[in-house]
Amino acid sequence: MQSDFDKLLKVCRIRLDKEEKEKMEKELEEIIKYFDVLDSVRIEEVNEQRAKVERLRKDEVKQFDNIEGLLKNTKTYRFYVVGPKV
Amino acid sequence: MSSINSIEEFASIEKGGDYYQKLLEELARLNERLHAFSNINSSINSFPFSAKDNLCVKGVETTASSKILDGYIPPYNATAVERLLNNGFSFLGKTNMDEFGFGSFGINAQEIVRNPFDERYVAGGSSSGAAVATSILKYHVAIAESTGGSIATPASFCGVVGFTPTYSTISRYGLIDYSNSMDKIGIMARTAKDIRPIFDLIRGPDGYDSTTSDLSITSINKKKLIVIDQLLDLVDQRIRELFEKMLDKLNAKGYSIEHRSIDLIDASIASYYIIAMAEASTNLARYTGFKYGFKIEDFDKGYNEFFTEARSVFGEEAKRRILLGTFVRSANVKDKYYFKALKVRDMLSSRLEKILEEGFIILPVMPIPAPKIEDAKKLTPLQVYKMDALTIPPNLCGLPHISFPYAYDNGLPLGAEVITSKFNDYAIIDFVEEWEEDFEYKFKYKIGEVK
Repeated sequence: MQSDFDKLLKVCRIRLDKEEKEKMEKELEEIIKYFDVLDSVRIEEVNEQRAKVERLRKDEVKQFDNIEGLLKNTKTYRFYVVGPKV
Repeated sequence: MSSINSIEEFASIEKGGDYYQKLLEELARLNERLHAFSNINSSINSFPFSAKDNLCVKGVETTASSKILDGYIPPYNATAVERLLNNGFSFLGKTNMDEFGFGSFGINAQEIVRNPFDERYVAGGSSSGAAVATSILKYHVAIAESTGGSIATPASFCGVVGFTPTYSTISRYGLIDYSNSMDKIGIMARTAKDIRPIFDLIRGPDGYDSTTSDLSITSINKKKLIVIDQLLDLVDQRIRELFEKMLDKLNAKGYSIEHRSIDLIDASIASYYIIAMAEASTNLARYTGFKYGFKIEDFDKGYNEFFTEARSVFGEEAKRRILLGTFVRSANVKDKYYFKALKVRDMLSSRLEKILEEGFIILPVMPIPAPKIEDAKKLTPLQVYKMDALTIPPNLCGLPHISFPYAYDNGLPLGAEVITSKFNDYAIIDFVEEWEEDFEYKFKYKIGEVK
């Protein structure tokens, strides 16, 4: 049966060898245990905004002016990006 | 000390015909040892600026120090870069960093950046190269980026001024995302005098980043400095002594000093890392091995196999953050970790904003002096995360802060940070300018100086 850590590795598509896996699992356990400090916080509702923007921009679609430049970073067939089978 | 900024001073100096060529040659020689730059431009002809390697520069390889972006050539400039180029500045090169900004010591990088004061020591991270470039070049500004302390920490270890503005004042267009709700483009310079003109050129609304604010920037200084005691208690005894001496000097300049405790400050590291890793794990999902940089050509492989192979080139810390970020967002624990961390951030922001109505918060930047590279490598990931305790609160809450050298100990600089309310950025730049009036910064190298 798969352990929770094995399931996490699979979901993340991360492959580790045995030694890396043991080390990583131990480190993650220590970090997650530390995150439990949040358990003791009693939540209050506050009104906070991440970014203050006075005027919203118009919702206008603009075409990026260098599509050929973008496609240079990938293997393409005409205007399609070539990728693996899904 | 000169009353003009180095941009004006640079314009007034007599430069010989081979000035720029000699500067580039000298820089390339020193860079072989310090590794500040991942690449250096072959030709410049005006005041130079560098860009951290997570900022896109058209036609120049941009990797964020990750093998997964090897060979990626952006077809556009980041807005901050574009605005400096349009104002007559020369792009000098890309500066090294921890992979995707994941690190506090500059050691999670393809090439470890070395401290210019003593090469056995770390330069700090993640904007390691930006801090070293600023420390070794007489005339230069660095465009860097901070998510949890990536400007203040290396600026402190390398003895330069590091400015992280209010979240949303500088467009993030062209920045390789780490944690969108906390990433901030900022500036490093040898003095605070150089920060303001550059900040004014690159900040402001941008059609390519809808979160960029158009609110005006203020300079309100209430002549009160507040020290958060729980954070000061984490600091090494020697640093604390030197920091308190600096507070005495500031007190003599007319600042009142107050000590406070804030509840929730102890939860800030957990809140920061949960949010940062959750966002990083989604941002890194775009590196699939066929769209940017590193590529796998075998398209007969199934998607899962292909994707797993591509992600094998991430460094160890990137893999750790993908795993933790995915875990804290998973259905059965997301309320306990991710949503709780968001609430804690809002609550802490609210408390800090209230305190900042009274004055600035002032703290050392790091609890320890710059460690030797070999010692930094021995720290566990959790020990490294805890080192960010003093830089996380302003970064988590999007508050402007600036770090500046205030002492030198064992030949290495120490930095302090001043934090203020959102959009009061000018006040802390002015504060450091005032500090610089009777505190002279030290630099080991002065590349570009006209003798």
